[in-house]
Amino acid sequence: MGHSKLRALLCASALSALGGGAVAGEFDGITLQAKLIGGQQYEALYARIAEWEAETGAQVEILSKKNHFELDKEFKSDIAAGTLGWCVGSNHSSFASQYPSLYTDLTPYLSAEFIEAYVPSNIAASKIGDALVMLPRAQFDVSVLYYLKSIYEDPERQAAYKAETGRDLAPPDTWEEYKAQAIFFTDAPNFYGTQYAGKDEAIVGRYYEMVIAEGGQLFNEDWSPAFNSDAGKRALSWFVDLYQAGAVPPGTTSYLWDDLGQGFASGTIALNLDWPGWAGFFNGEDTSKAAGDVGVIVQPQGSAGIRTGWSGHHGFSVTESCEHKEAAASLVAWLTNEESQKLESAGGSLPTRTAVWDHVLEAAKSDPFRAEAIAAFQEGSEHAFPAPQTPYWIEATNLIYPELQAAILGDKSVEEALADAAKAVDEMMQENGVY
Amino acid sequence: MTRPRLPAWFVLLLPAFIVLAAVVLIPLLLSLYSSFTSYRLTRPETLYNWIGTFNYEKAVQSAHFWSAFGRTVLLLTIALNLEMLLGLGLALLVNQVTYGQRLLRTIMMFPMMFSPLLVGFQFKFIFNDNVGLVNNALQSLGLTNVAIPWLVDGQLAFISILVAEMWSSTSVFAILILAGLFAVPRDPIEAAKVDGCTPWQSFRHITLPYIMPFIYIALAIRSLDVARAYDIVQIMTNGGPARRTELIWTLIGRTGYVDAKMGYANAMGYISIFLAIAFTIYFFRKLNAARAELGMGG
Repeated sequence: MGHSKLRALLCASALSALGGGAVAGEFDGITLQAKLIGGQQYEALYARIAEWEAETGAQVEILSKKNHFELDKEFKSDIAAGTLGWCVGSNHSSFASQYPSLYTDLTPYLSAEFIEAYVPSNIAASKIGDALVMLPRAQFDVSVLYYLKSIYEDPERQAAYKAETGRDLAPPDTWEEYKAQAIFFTDAPNFYGTQYAGKDEAIVGRYYEMVIAEGGQLFNEDWSPAFNSDAGKRALSWFVDLYQAGAVPPGTTSYLWDDLGQGFASGTIALNLDWPGWAGFFNGEDTSKAAGDVGVIVQPQGSAGIRTGWSGHHGFSVTESCEHKEAAASLVAWLTNEESQKLESAGGSLPTRTAVWDHVLEAAKSDPFRAEAIAAFQEGSEHAFPAPQTPYWIEATNLIYPELQAAILGDKSVEEALADAAKAVDEMMQENGVY
Repeated sequence: MTRPRLPAWFVLLLPAFIVLAAVVLIPLLLSLYSSFTSYRLTRPETLYNWIGTFNYEKAVQSAHFWSAFGRTVLLLTIALNLEMLLGLGLALLVNQVTYGQRLLRTIMMFPMMFSPLLVGFQFKFIFNDNVGLVNNALQSLGLTNVAIPWLVDGQLAFISILVAEMWSSTSVFAILILAGLFAVPRDPIEAAKVDGCTPWQSFRHITLPYIMPFIYIALAIRSLDVARAYDIVQIMTNGGPARRTELIWTLIGRTGYVDAKMGYANAMGYISIFLAIAFTIYFFRKLNAARAELGMGG
């Protein structure tokens, strides 16, 4: 038996006894270098690192704290330069597949019981092939529907909508209904029915989940493009129709998450598909004009009866080149165990361990808005699916999004745009030797 | 037997050669080499995967590359001409000022002190369709009641980027031309006045030939700047939407650092360097011609 396998087994047995805990003095004298996602909202969790250090005797030296896009560039530079002496890195399910060789499989270092306590879909999205390359933290993201309650309670609008469509005015459960309502609510340039992320990976992610909801796929099993299909065309038409009808702000093709969050908080957008991190911001008296008027329900479904649910989560990984993998695995297990997730989800983010979901629901009971939001996100998370797990996901999105924009802005027809995008992705995949 | 000695001139120049090789030549050669490989940042072993001229052929056959190339040339041409005219006007006005000219010159240099990234953010906000200053001003003045998509419409976005570029760099022209104006001798202008020349005639036939070398130097410097335009465009539009404002370096930047395809990005970079070289040669020829006209040697 190889030396490393033996070490791994020893470590696995040590950890299995504890399930994400730590043994006193276990890693005396070891220093782990880490590159973590930075931001005020993450500091409470990082404070727990000191507890882990005290318990195990190891030290953690944080080399950088940056957002994921900056970390992504740093990781790529590290891979290119071979500067991989560090051990623990923040990871994200949408980025992970880009660095297939950077991170080690954590399975040998953890007990099966400990891994089973995570939400199974989150664990599935943390793998590349069979390798568990990260442990999910309580930063799970799936989008649900935020809406302004007052416009649904307005008798005049109710009557007008009934007269126009023959249907009662209620928060939409299908994307078709959503589109009709968004167009109906629009009073440009002061009030818009909705908005969507319009560039980069963001719009492709939104398009991706819409294709799934329409019964299609973005890629075939061999990773050849599959979106130039009827489902793909219906999905893109949804974006095009809203833009051409003027039901979204004209600048929406340059909007990213912050622009969308600020837009809905300005009270000038009726319907907004958005992430859990915004719930408190949207309903905060100091941060949002929509405060007190925000409703949250599960995301609508497409014509195939499938709900959208493009999701992602943050996690922690251990590098393949790390000298102290068992210590590093102990640290990432500690940062994502039940106590850590309870602490982190108290700030409003969604957990990735089943037991912590129950805890969060219980804790939200005294706050009706929080309870409504958590219930919507719990239901929404049941329909969640990760970004396509290919190292070429980001590269593919860079080929697809300009074509989606071209269709939305009317430079190309839906058919031309999808044909061009599919051709570009097909060439890229072949060039990379995928098939 | 005496030890062979290197010539003194060579020994003295050697440190300079070594430094130049380390900081200029080696990175240049490495990037040139990598443009013939399938080098991806995330897969270091691909640096040794020689693929011949594949990257160059791909770039030359790419419509996206040539449209970005064409747009960069267009931006270069329009921005340089407008900046030159505005800078000339500004310099002539400041040259007339007798009191507080030093303060005016300092104020004129303010935009040059801003980082291009800040300029990008500033103009992205100014031209925002929803909360931007321009749309709010136009709507408040009753000139329009729609949200003009400044950064979405292809032509408007091009104009918005042009305005940001001009705001940040017109003063380069103004400062250099002002230096030229200070160097214009007074005698020929006074002689022209005595001979009954109009102010326009004196400017056209005496002042302008004297400041032309300064204008060409400014043009050469700014042409290299605009040919490398990246920061402002990256922040304002990132080449979009739908590639409507894509310039060479936004395309190359995305290919190299986001898609991690450094080999292909370097190949595109080497092709576009010819653009910068062509403009530099053109302006230096013009500069030499202008100097020759003034009897300053070719």
